[in-house]
Amino acid sequence: MTLTYAFFPGCTLESAAEELMISTKKVAEALGIELIELNGWTCCGASHIQDIDNFLSTSINARNIALAESLGVSKLLTVCNTCTLMLRTAKLKMDKNERLKEQVNVGLDRAGLQYKGTVEVTHLLWALLEDYGLENLKKKVTVPLKGLKVANFYGCHIVMPPDVMGFENHRNPQSMEMVAEALGAECVEFDQRLACCGFHAVFPAQKEVMTMTGINCLSPKEAGADCIVTPCPLCQMQLDAYQPDAQKRFDQDITMPIIHLPQLIGLALGISPEELAINRHVVDAIPALQRKLQLA
Amino acid sequence: MEMMTVKIKRFDGRNSYYQKYEVPYEKGKTILWLLTTIREEQDPTLNFTSACRHAICGSCAVQINGNAFLACNTPLDDVLDTYKTMNLTFEPLKNFEVIKDLVIVWEPKMEKMTKVKPWIIPGEEGSKEIGFLQSEEDFQQIAAPTDCILCGVCASECNQLAVNQDGYLEPFILNKAYRYIVDTRDGAPEQHLKPVLENDLWKCLHCMQCVSQCPKTIPLTDQIAFLRSATMAMGELDNQGAKHAYAFHDDVKNKGRLNETMLPIKTDGLVQTALTKIPFALRMVKKGKINPLHMPKQISGIQEVRKLYEYAEEVKS
Ligand code: SF4
Ligand code: SF4
Ligand code: SF4
Ligand code: SF4
Ligand code: FES
Repeated sequence: MTLTYAFFPGCTLESAAEELMISTKKVAEALGIELIELNGWTCCGASHIQDIDNFLSTSINARNIALAESLGVSKLLTVCNTCTLMLRTAKLKMDKNERLKEQVNVGLDRAGLQYKGTVEVTHLLWALLEDYGLENLKKKVTVPLKGLKVANFYGCHIVMPPDVMGFENHRNPQSMEMVAEALGAECVEFDQRLACCGFHAVFPAQKEVMTMTGINCLSPKEAGADCIVTPCPLCQMQLDAYQPDAQKRFDQDITMPIIHLPQLIGLALGISPEELAINRHVVDAIPALQRKLQLA
Repeated sequence: MEMMTVKIKRFDGRNSYYQKYEVPYEKGKTILWLLTTIREEQDPTLNFTSACRHAICGSCAVQINGNAFLACNTPLDDVLDTYKTMNLTFEPLKNFEVIKDLVIVWEPKMEKMTKVKPWIIPGEEGSKEIGFLQSEEDFQQIAAPTDCILCGVCASECNQLAVNQDGYLEPFILNKAYRYIVDTRDGAPEQHLKPVLENDLWKCLHCMQCVSQCPKTIPLTDQIAFLRSATMAMGELDNQGAKHAYAFHDDVKNKGRLNETMLPIKTDGLVQTALTKIPFALRMVKKGKINPLHMPKQISGIQEVRKLYEYAEEVKS
């Protein structure tokens, strides 16, 4: 079985979260998933461009989707919550509003493209459940993550707003738990499971966001988690790279390793932490993982 | 008979504690039915508010198992199904002061709302004599925002408000400001907009809680994007939020992708970046997360992307 997707990496995968690019490719290869990176994709706008120009925000993402449509695949896959949201928002707006779609297409026409609406936008997490199947994933597990206690931090944009995302109930999603359990890990219950990481306002609301980061690390720590796992590189960056800044606002030790979803999957597939670039995180995740797992 | 275990956070003015009730499950009821049944059949001292029972008065919102719901229009079965449980925990709305049990205080919120002048500041066009007329199309602009029933659900779920009660405005207050700013009969939109900007407009986290939970499906986050655009149109560009947004906007136009290395400098300026972001930057460089020498190359098709920018400008004018 080979699944083929058009792949939208998003800007962070090219720089600050290159380890997610590395681990996504490794895991896709090991699972037999073919990812065709869009040639000439642009940044999705990351929830900022629409504050300046809503129509432009829709247009650049219509272009991204149109690039996928011209590849003749049925789905465009991302590994970032916010990219998924931005692309799906643009798509939904155009699919619901014929006039807007026509207007966007006037612009795209000048760029030699057409948005048709034939490609679905999905996230790796959903694709694993919907297309690949948990049973098939389980068959690929060579190092079950027995004893590893993971805290699943969804990040808001993988579930909200539900009229755009709609994969599962936004008030009590289970997809992360299903995948983590298929890999043999144990999921801990913690208050901040569906919290916001604050990343999109880390500049204007630095103080508030650092407090949130501290709470988001402490909550799973108190619940006994070995690490946080997230399906979003932006959540990962906020919780990991800013953790030392957040620590300054707290007396208690907030230390909590934060890994990407594909890294967790890769470990269970027997790929080494180095190959998954887990050594690249600011808060070293390897000791916590080594304590519980026989790592490759 | 199947029983539900309902834990309710009680507050007597001094102490708060959780009280447990066992209630027989009945199919096809609402959350408000559950609260009313407890009060009528088990505990007349339980305090909560409700009136219209038709999602109009906005008085019955509560937190259940971590999310805010309007009690009268929320099917009990939906909630049980959402959390896959027969155990429900009720708490008063978050980000409000509590008077008793599930009853919250609205006065300070209404006081805060006056900051945005939640009334029409009449323009030149109308008068007492000729009235203040509006076209159907103009009216449609205020149709959605006037659906707000002031239930407080959005405020209860707002992640920025949770860490910034004094500084930030409740989403329903932002909605109210929006409603007057887009009202064609209002002659001074900037008087509603200025206080919005001054009360941390750019601190919205874009978390989507408000818009996801509002029982009236008011497009709150689209409104926030509109309010931000409007402040920039008013010339308010010299702030972190606007600069951050323009960094993305301009990078996509120039290269197609974001230059993460330059982002802090574009947002905060060189001096502020040097003061606050250096440890962060060093950390990122050390782990290979930022390569200061890596400048994104222009993507293939950048000319086409720029055509989209040109076209968007044409559409605007
Ligand atoms: S949201 Fe981030 S990762 Fe996604 S394309 Fe935009 S800047 Fe990039
Ligand atoms: S938690 Fe933060 S970065 Fe992650 S999806 Fe939500 S807002 Fe975006
Ligand atoms: S905006 Fe929606 S959630 Fe907020 S108070 Fe009004 S009706 Fe309630
Ligand atoms: S999107 Fe903004 S206003 Fe809405 S709940 Fe989140 S922080 Fe609050
Ligand atoms: S009782 Fe009036 S809105 Fe629920």
